[in-house]
Amino acid sequence: MNKALMKAVKEYLVLLLVLGLVLITAVIEPKFITSGNMTNIMRQFGPLIMVAMGMTFVIIGGYIDLSVAGIMSLVAVVTLSLIDPIGQVGAIFVGLLIGAAAGFLNSLVITRSGAMTQAEGLFISYGMSVLYGGTALLYTGGVTNHLSYIESNYSLFTLIGSGTVGIFSVSFIIFLFLLLILYIFQNFTYTGRAICLTGGNKTAANLTGINVNRTIIIIWTISGFMAGVSSIVLFSRVTTASPVLGKGFELNAILAVVVGGTSLKGGKGSVARTVLGAMLVILLSNSMNLLGVTVYMQNVMKGLLLILAIWLDNLKGRR
Amino acid sequence: MKNKGLGKTITTSIVKYKAFFAVLVMLLFMLFPRTNFYSVFNILDMLNSASILMVVSFGLTLVILAGGIDLSVGGSLVMGGILTILSMNVMPMWLAILIGTLSGAVIGTINGYIIVYHKTEPMIVTLGMSIILTGIAQELTDAHPISAEGLSFMMIGNGRIFGTIPNLVVIMLVVFAVFYVILRYTQFGRNLYAIGGDYEVAKYSGINVRREKAATYVLAGMAASFAGVLLSSKLNSASSIYGDQTALTVISGIVVGGTSLAGGVGGVGRSLVGLLVFAIMENALNMLHVDAYIQQVIRGIVIVAILALDSYDRKRRREDV
Repeated sequence: MNKALMKAVKEYLVLLLVLGLVLITAVIEPKFITSGNMTNIMRQFGPLIMVAMGMTFVIIGGYIDLSVAGIMSLVAVVTLSLIDPIGQVGAIFVGLLIGAAAGFLNSLVITRSGAMTQAEGLFISYGMSVLYGGTALLYTGGVTNHLSYIESNYSLFTLIGSGTVGIFSVSFIIFLFLLLILYIFQNFTYTGRAICLTGGNKTAANLTGINVNRTIIIIWTISGFMAGVSSIVLFSRVTTASPVLGKGFELNAILAVVVGGTSLKGGKGSVARTVLGAMLVILLSNSMNLLGVTVYMQNVMKGLLLILAIWLDNLKGRR
Repeated sequence: MKNKGLGKTITTSIVKYKAFFAVLVMLLFMLFPRTNFYSVFNILDMLNSASILMVVSFGLTLVILAGGIDLSVGGSLVMGGILTILSMNVMPMWLAILIGTLSGAVIGTINGYIIVYHKTEPMIVTLGMSIILTGIAQELTDAHPISAEGLSFMMIGNGRIFGTIPNLVVIMLVVFAVFYVILRYTQFGRNLYAIGGDYEVAKYSGINVRREKAATYVLAGMAASFAGVLLSSKLNSASSIYGDQTALTVISGIVVGGTSLAGGVGGVGRSLVGLLVFAIMENALNMLHVDAYIQQVIRGIVIVAILALDSYDRKRRREDV
């Protein structure tokens, strides 16, 4: 009994810690539970959760994707610029395609070069992020473009950014829809199950007859695609597409995945957990804001959480 | 094996000394366009700017040789500069510089302790550490650049010996010599190759693997924060953003120089040449008036190409065995 309890505590320690902090805030700062603040929180969690859901697959597969920041920036600037020439539906379609294609390109470099370790994947995706970010800057000449300057109809973006259906925002419905698809994909398809095995041990997965390269291509493409979706949702809400829009999202997404309890060693985890993790990361930064903790010290806390998570991961592994 | 073709020998040596050849090709190429690339001033200036990242790379090379990785060198660099400038207000300059340099040793000790003694993944621990350090640096400076008072500190990074050779180049060469001797002529340095080559074998050979591996992180942190002191002196300012791209640029330089991320192969001399590749490339692109954003794209492509080639090389060797 006691052992089981200890095990559960170890398993969910990071989660419990964050939850504790959030609860303390709610007690100290009554503003936390006002409806204004809750709406504020609901609005924030769309883009981050979407990137984090894609990132979950990459991390389960034994890699880390640092390129999502570059992909988000690139998708935002290209999509916005295409609304006038090809219309809003076409622009969204091309934007999503660019996201998926960028992820696919990452996986191509990784599988072709045989980069099987997490470190290699991390560095290659960082280089790709520099490349995508540079392309975004080059494309706009470093200028931030505004949605309101668009001459043709952009009602779809307004809908994504601030529309509501009943009490739910449209971005929340998009998120639910994506969660459903990814959840089914992860748990009820052959490829989804294969990701766990690939992340656990690539050599063993290969010997079992799993097409490891194909799995790697799929996870990176999903991550790129989700970065694209998140980019469109984000710039619809802020109504500007900056060529550095995605900066910082990669680290927050990794943090969300880790806080949710997905192992950074790969082979274990789920999108549902990541949703919980992302929610807590947002709640955490919201409560820190309310308590008057500076953004800088929040970064320090995020770093500490990351180290704590990997340390706990390791304790679990050693048992 | 006996009659290995001449072509194959050449290919192998080009792959092995790719950084050296890259430097050669770029130097040859720059002979043609009409620029000021080949002026004494420009060459010295280029080396002067490159010195700082080179100092970072010497420490990091030791970590990578021993099979680790350190992404927090950017954070150590930033902390070194900020702490030096902040402490200079209340104490003599030499003490401030010492504090700045030792801050990296403290950071390295924490890294080493968590990574080696708790057997955690170095990449993620140091990634977390770099986030923490950036946060602390922002808190200390309120995310604004801070500058030192008085000219004496600035003279370290901007002075020239005999009026021609920049101080920083000389300091870089001294640090290089120190690390070269450590790697080449001390028991500790030789052991690092064994540890990076095969951790378990090194352990059973009686090497104190944990202590020596942790020591590499301390040295890397110290080298990085010392480089931060030099950078702050050169720019006469310190800011939390100076280290943003340091770790990955330096790692790419080290890898192109021929120190493998797998550990056990390489040396500080190779890192020096590897970083020279990036220095010359950046300088040449500036000389040719290439747009800054295009430069970023080119840098991305070069980094990916270098790392992918390194992985590919290892894959080929795996399959050969």
